[in-house]
Amino acid sequence: MKASLRRILVAGHKEFLHIIRDPQTLAIVILMPVIMMFLYGYALNSDIHNAQLLVEAPVPSAASRALTSRLNASTFFSVPGSIPASADPLQPFRSGQARALLRLPPDFEASLRRPGGAALQVIVDGSDPSVGSRMRGAVEGAVQKTLMDYLDIEPPHILDQRAVVLYNPEQRSAMFFVPGLMAVILLMISALLTSIAITREKETGTMGQLLITPLRPGEIIAGKLLPYVVLASLDGLLILIVGRLIFGVQVAGNLFFLAICSLIYVFTALSIGLLVSTIAKRQHHAMMMALGATMMPTVILSGFIFPISSMPLFLQVIAHIVPATYYLQIVRGIILKGVGLRELWQPLLILGFEGLLLFGLSIRKFRIKL
Amino acid sequence: MSLALRIRDLIKDHAGEKALKGISFEVPEGALFGIIGADGAGKSTLMTILATLMDADSGEVEELGLDLKKDFKILRHRIAFMPQRFSLYPDLTVVENLHFFADLYDLDPAEKQKRLSDLLKFSALEPFQKRRAGLLSGGMKQKLALCCCLLHRPSLIYLDEPTVGVDPVARRDFWILLKSLKSEGITLVVSTPYMDEAKLCDTLLLLDHGKVLDSGSPREMLSRYPYSLYRIRGPKPLAYSARKEPPQGVSLVYPAGGELRAAVDGGMNASQDDLWKDFPGANASESMTPDIEDLFFALLSREQASLEKTVK
Repeated sequence: MKASLRRILVAGHKEFLHIIRDPQTLAIVILMPVIMMFLYGYALNSDIHNAQLLVEAPVPSAASRALTSRLNASTFFSVPGSIPASADPLQPFRSGQARALLRLPPDFEASLRRPGGAALQVIVDGSDPSVGSRMRGAVEGAVQKTLMDYLDIEPPHILDQRAVVLYNPEQRSAMFFVPGLMAVILLMISALLTSIAITREKETGTMGQLLITPLRPGEIIAGKLLPYVVLASLDGLLILIVGRLIFGVQVAGNLFFLAICSLIYVFTALSIGLLVSTIAKRQHHAMMMALGATMMPTVILSGFIFPISSMPLFLQVIAHIVPATYYLQIVRGIILKGVGLRELWQPLLILGFEGLLLFGLSIRKFRIKL
Repeated sequence: MSLALRIRDLIKDHAGEKALKGISFEVPEGALFGIIGADGAGKSTLMTILATLMDADSGEVEELGLDLKKDFKILRHRIAFMPQRFSLYPDLTVVENLHFFADLYDLDPAEKQKRLSDLLKFSALEPFQKRRAGLLSGGMKQKLALCCCLLHRPSLIYLDEPTVGVDPVARRDFWILLKSLKSEGITLVVSTPYMDEAKLCDTLLLLDHGKVLDSGSPREMLSRYPYSLYRIRGPKPLAYSARKEPPQGVSLVYPAGGELRAAVDGGMNASQDDLWKDFPGANASESMTPDIEDLFFALLSREQASLEKTVK
């Protein structure tokens, strides 16, 4: 037992030397999470910010000016000013000048005070459905609010409906992608690097040398995994730190519990990489296989971006095999909701079970001959 | 004399071909045993099997008194294998490679240190300890690989073409190392495509297309050389090699070194000198003693002849 542990540490130390001797891989490991966070944080952002909104006012009036300046003042929109009536209201959309167009009737001011009320038209660029519907809601809300203020009237009290948004009341996408990226990056780093690390020994012929030494298969594997557990943990920490400092995402739950859950997830991810490496003979095959087995299902099927409940049944079945699905439930639970083991034991159990299964399978498949 | 290796009828299909077609031989303990053969003769397959890294399809192997198939785990502690390709970690330094392999065997620190410094001295790698293995010259890489094999003091070492791609000076150095290991009583099984290295071994196995052509000590084998060998001076050897049929009475003509050699059945006397008129530009011939290469060609051509006969 003691000798076995010693050999694992020897193998782990050697693997660690490989990592620090390869600055490019090391840079990828450290930079990838940060770059991905900035990409998701700034580019893949469906928050609306300064969208171009045109107000078509055939006859400018006090009411139309109040509306224009109010809309322009909101952070959602940027309103360059009102434009006169146009024969082709879709022209600004085609030319990309506008994402939304608010059309006022010529008798806007007067019709506001008429019993039937004023008729407005909102045209929204729906090429990105989620941005489109959010813009529509924002325009409608802003118009409603401005005109109420302008006319100095209260909304009629027929139904008082107030929505309460939990866990992410401002609907910031950072709250959503930081946990998601934990799932993606931990999986990618762990699965990808281990699959390559073991395949490399096969490709360079050193696997034969390792097999002739007293190292047992389990020890070779454990020694290989050890440094990558450390790396993945560092990456997890890095994501949390960048999420906190730059995107303002605070962990609502217990950090220690998050760390333990993440380690179980990393173990599962490493086992995927291990299984890939027992099959692949070349490093680039291993890389492609590991990417295919981790990246796509994690981003698309885990519920990171698209809700699992809206998928067709057979994809839902696959989604419930993907380990990231469970980790995402856990990590969102801890970071956003602040819940603990009592609420999360189920996904945690499944995740751990998947990890053990994959690990056992890859040890079994690991060949002690060439 | 006890045996380090006893092999009976070893058969292996590898990569869709019959790599070993029933091989049998014995290696006495403490021998420097050479396996000679061209590329594709089955040397590497044979070595990989004997080094416990690949299973044979059938046949029996007794290695250091143990059964290869049953006891391969115990054997792995007592043998070493130096594969054909450089198989250490190029991104680790010389010492780091040595430390890694040493640490896998539970040596106490003082013993480990002693073995490391002995090996560095033995291999003359001492000045290069801090150099990354990937940056060593071909000869130094092979010496390092040999050192890594020796850390656990194996009693049997397999070396698969250790001197291929190594310059002549480094090759000679490497063989000096092998000789000194032999003097320590370690059994060495070395494969090589170089005939000049054959005479450095004390027992040989000539391998061709997965079959044993001959085996024995170099002297023993050469005493069985079936022809009289002549060296022909004059013609450019490469110009001749295009010719297909040797002249009548001559079994075999081939270029070797910068000359042509002719193997002739039975003794040929000087009056038969006119045979040489078939060789454009030949001006003299003289009798010579065959070496392993000549024997190899002789056995090979006989093998081919018998093959052709069976085909017919």
